[in-house]
Amino acid sequence: MAMLEVEGLRKSFGGLTATNDVGFHVDRGEIVSIIGPNGAGKSTVFNLITGVYRPDAGDVRFEGTSIVGKSTNQVVDLGIARTFQNLRLFTNLTVLENVLISQHHRLRSNWLSAVFRTPSYRRQERAMREVATEKLGFFGPRLQSFRLHQPVYVLSYANRRRTEMARAMATGAKLLLLDEPSAGMNPKETSEITQIIRRMRDEGGYTIVVVEHKMNLVGEISDRVIVLDYGQKIAEGTYRDVVNDPKVIEAYLGKKAGDDKREELADG
Amino acid sequence: MARIVTPTAFDAIDPKKRVRNVALTLLAVGVGVFVLYLLEGVGSSKLVQALALFAIWGVATVSLNLINGTLGILSLGHHGFMLIGGYTTGLLMLDEAARQRILTSARSTMTEETLALSVSNLLRGVGLEALTTPETLWVRFLIAIFLGGLLAAFAGLLVGTPSLRLRGDYLAIVTFGFGEIIRLTASTRLFSAYTNGALGFPGVTSEFGKSIWWTFGVLAFTVFVISKLKYSSYGRAMQAIREDEIAAQAMGVNVAYHKVLGFVISAFFAGVAGGLWVSWLGGVRLDFFLFQLTFFFLVAISAGGTGSITGVLLGTAVVVFVRQYGDPLEESYSIQTWLYIASATLALAAAGAVLFRTLRRLRPRLHWGSWVLIGAAAVAALVAAVDPAVIEGTFRGFGMRAIFLSVLLIVIMVFRPDGMLGRTEFSWSWFLREQRTGPTDEERTQDAWLSNPAFGSPAGRAAAREQELAEDDTDAPAGGDDEGGR
Amino acid sequence: MWRRFLPLLVILGIVALVVWRMLYLGSVGERFNAGFFLRAFIDSVKLGSLYALIALGYTMVYGIIRLINFAHGEVFMVGAFTTYFLFTITPYALPAAIVMAIILTFGLMRVVELFRGSMRDPLVLGVGAIGVVVLTVALSAFTWPFWAAIVGSMLATGVLGLSIDRVAYVPLRSAPRNSLLITAIAVSFFLQNLGLLAFTNRQTPFRPDTPLTNPLAIDVGGTPVMTNWLLVAIPVVTLALVIALTSFVTRTRLGKAMRASAQDAEVAQMMGVSVNKVIATTFLLGSMLAAAGGAMWGLNFGSLNQPAIMGILPGIKAFAAAVIGGIGSLPGAVIGAMIIGFSENFLTALFPRTPTFLGITEFKDTFAFVLLILVLLIRPSGIVGEDLSEKV
Ligand SMILES: Nc1ncnc2c1ncn2[C@@H]1O[C@H](COP(=O)(O)OP(=O)(O)OP(=O)(O)O)[C@@H](O)[C@H]1O
Ligand SMILES: [Mg+2]
Repeated sequence: MAMLEVEGLRKSFGGLTATNDVGFHVDRGEIVSIIGPNGAGKSTVFNLITGVYRPDAGDVRFEGTSIVGKSTNQVVDLGIARTFQNLRLFTNLTVLENVLISQHHRLRSNWLSAVFRTPSYRRQERAMREVATEKLGFFGPRLQSFRLHQPVYVLSYANRRRTEMARAMATGAKLLLLDEPSAGMNPKETSEITQIIRRMRDEGGYTIVVVEHKMNLVGEISDRVIVLDYGQKIAEGTYRDVVNDPKVIEAYLGKKAGDDKREELADG
Repeated sequence: MARIVTPTAFDAIDPKKRVRNVALTLLAVGVGVFVLYLLEGVGSSKLVQALALFAIWGVATVSLNLINGTLGILSLGHHGFMLIGGYTTGLLMLDEAARQRILTSARSTMTEETLALSVSNLLRGVGLEALTTPETLWVRFLIAIFLGGLLAAFAGLLVGTPSLRLRGDYLAIVTFGFGEIIRLTASTRLFSAYTNGALGFPGVTSEFGKSIWWTFGVLAFTVFVISKLKYSSYGRAMQAIREDEIAAQAMGVNVAYHKVLGFVISAFFAGVAGGLWVSWLGGVRLDFFLFQLTFFFLVAISAGGTGSITGVLLGTAVVVFVRQYGDPLEESYSIQTWLYIASATLALAAAGAVLFRTLRRLRPRLHWGSWVLIGAAAVAALVAAVDPAVIEGTFRGFGMRAIFLSVLLIVIMVFRPDGMLGRTEFSWSWFLREQRTGPTDEERTQDAWLSNPAFGSPAGRAAAREQELAEDDTDAPAGGDDEGGR
Repeated sequence: MWRRFLPLLVILGIVALVVWRMLYLGSVGERFNAGFFLRAFIDSVKLGSLYALIALGYTMVYGIIRLINFAHGEVFMVGAFTTYFLFTITPYALPAAIVMAIILTFGLMRVVELFRGSMRDPLVLGVGAIGVVVLTVALSAFTWPFWAAIVGSMLATGVLGLSIDRVAYVPLRSAPRNSLLITAIAVSFFLQNLGLLAFTNRQTPFRPDTPLTNPLAIDVGGTPVMTNWLLVAIPVVTLALVIALTSFVTRTRLGKAMRASAQDAEVAQMMGVSVNKVIATTFLLGSMLAAAGGAMWGLNFGSLNQPAIMGILPGIKAFAAAVIGGIGSLPGAVIGAMIIGFSENFLTALFPRTPTFLGITEFKDTFAFVLLILVLLIRPSGIVGEDLSEKV
């Protein structure tokens, strides 16, 4: 059975239909990419899955149960975590605190035990620290030691993206939705993040959905690619199939240019 | 600028230092207790009163800051919570005769039917009458402030619940509205069996509110609970809500629960503070619980720094000092004197502005605003010196302290919005200046190496300097002393 | 489909309930005749109009810089007292005159600065120097007729609004919104206590020599209801000012710039709108309306409350009105104000005090808050407002 099933998802803002009848599924252990021109509705799909927006129609099922209407934090409890396209870290808090906060929902002590620091609370706090270091460890030692205690606002853009990914992993989710994980990164950093995303699946056991604009990243890691345009799914398949699809080329390049550029794109 | 490496409460401190810190803390507490003891014996009663007020308002500001600073919600209804705690404590501390008097005066303005509505039996002090001897009275007070806190916490639950659906500034208005509703409702006839209308009632014993031991004891407990909460996982979740509510929710934080939790805990302590406050004042009246109270607390927390509990206490000390020792400001002087005072103040403000602009290297040093101030100062001085008619009258500086505090607040907001301490919390290592403020050299090298292996060796560093720098992954050295490697 | 008729149904339902309650009351008590309800109606309209004048200032400022201008209630208070101050000579004239003259001159300089570009321009400095002297003399030497007092007060208070913006809000344009709100609270406190300083803490009688307070008797069903010409004057003045404001906002260049900034200040700035100028204008206009409201408030009640509390309740109720109507919308503010005016006067008339019931008059100051909270919970965008939720 598919891990995530999306069916007939529709959402409009006033007169604008941001997604229209979008449906797809994600199997356990897969890396699926969603691509599409700017404003195609990719981020909106993420927002609909995680309960930030409420769909006008359609259904989202995670491991068989419908999650439409659940609040965002309940969705996280079930095992879906996401990153944001325009970085939403807790800027004045430290890297470590950021990654600890996303584990808070699994804390099994009430606030009084936390105030009085009961042994069980202390144990959990230590465990949370270990998880935090482990997840930050995916990105090498660069977010360890003294960086742990730096507030996020001094980090570079790339490090903020990494912190946000570690934060999402630390929620304990099984499914990660990454919204443009390589935005703002240079080619070297992009190729590094490509490897890391793959390792996240292979070593971390996460199932991953990526929204991306960088085609080489998409081509390298995706098991499957879904293409959105004007809120509609226009293609789905392997990377090679999708980039050769005339509809996709048209969506990206317009009708005429598409014919000339087809070959070029296919080489990716 | 904030320091770049902020320690968290759970940082592994080396055990020797931990022993030292505990020893230092015990020593400080010991010295503090001794000083308080001395003050109680030899200090003027004015000083003791001011200290007690500091502790009482400290309870209120520290609890208010749990909402305003940690949760990041602007709450303006603290005086309402304090009113609930205050009236509850006041009523429970009254003796039977005083209570009967309230009931009688309520009877004169209310019909028997409505009087019956107000459950006048609740006035009987929840069976606390037994505790009237001097030896047992403290138990009664303890129970009273606790119940006051509980009732206020219940009100906090009611206020916190709409907060789930509202954005920041609307919520501020709703909390303000709740505070006012509580006050306006308390003044109606329906509640006069409890409140005796706007007049209130005297006769609440000052034994506790003016006792340094009681007030500082409660303050210590409050600071303990709220700081432990703030530096726990719950506190982190609350700060996450402050930083970015949507992201916090997307990271699994139950935003609704934590907001209400914050409101309830904060309201509880506000209720306790209200109980101590009426005891300090020796009676209860509606105008002890005006919005002005919350305003003073806002000044205190903003002046000290909403990010820091120590800062909040520092700010509270400033506000209490102005309130208790600022009364010369509100006395009656001749108008001439006032004009000279005004002139001097304006001139000082102009001087301050020039100093500020010089320090910040802003040009022109004499901004037109300073000219306005100087001009006004000159006019005031001239009028005082020239016009003989003015000299005759006298004038009372009614409300000068509040004016001073509001100007202080505006100045802080404009020039130092983080307050005096910002996010720095008092700690021994901070006090002794031994805190690590940056990475070690080794770490710098390693960090740089991650970004570009060429940076690792001195030779490589030199070579790399010539390389294209677009490829680097070093973090913005916002603090100035942070980044290394290059 | 039925949703489109929902508002109409709600209104009809409320009217039906009110009429039913009126008929019921009429059948149980002699006192509750047509005159009784007419009086309540008149009071509601007057109060609603006054709230509307204040609410417009809130709604305009919020629409553009998303600030609940907490000090607006105090601006209203200052408007009332300035009017009072201009048509009477008071024992404490000179110090107050100097304070007013300084504030006014600063504001005048700021207005001139808007056109000259720099505060150190000779013209600006000249206006400053002459202004202080002339205004001090004018304020301390003449008794002004009432109409002149209102106009003068509107100008003075408008300038006060400008100055508040310049001193306290301009430096915080990019600060977090909570800081801005706290600053607004501080300004409000400052003005309250400054008023206290100037006018002491007692009620101030407000009885100018004007025909508007001449009695007027309306005859309904044999029982004459005594009132005065303010019944006509207040709504008419309000209406005139609202129309003037609306046509300013829709017709003039600056007005259009205002609406553009309310939509999206950043984009408006990029399109060449000087947003700071627009904000300054907003404060000027809002404060002028509040001053007119303050003057008529005094006229209506015959006295002014002490300055430290006069502005708070009307101010916060007017804010509630702006939110109820839909913040950012001019007609919304008027509708909201009317709703609050009616709930305060008409609702209390519908549930009067009887031997067995205390009545709800004592609670009428809480109605605005209760309505505010209800509206925020049910429909945060207000009656005619648009949704302001965040894009993720
Ligand atoms: N909260 C909202 N209110 C109004 N319109 C919205 C909202 N969120 C998204 N939209 C609109 O919906 C459309 C789809 O937006 P979305 O952010 O999903 O695009 P996207 O595919 O992620 O684009 P990009 O590649 O630029 O990130 C856009 O036109 C956007 O303006
Ligand atoms: Mg997007």
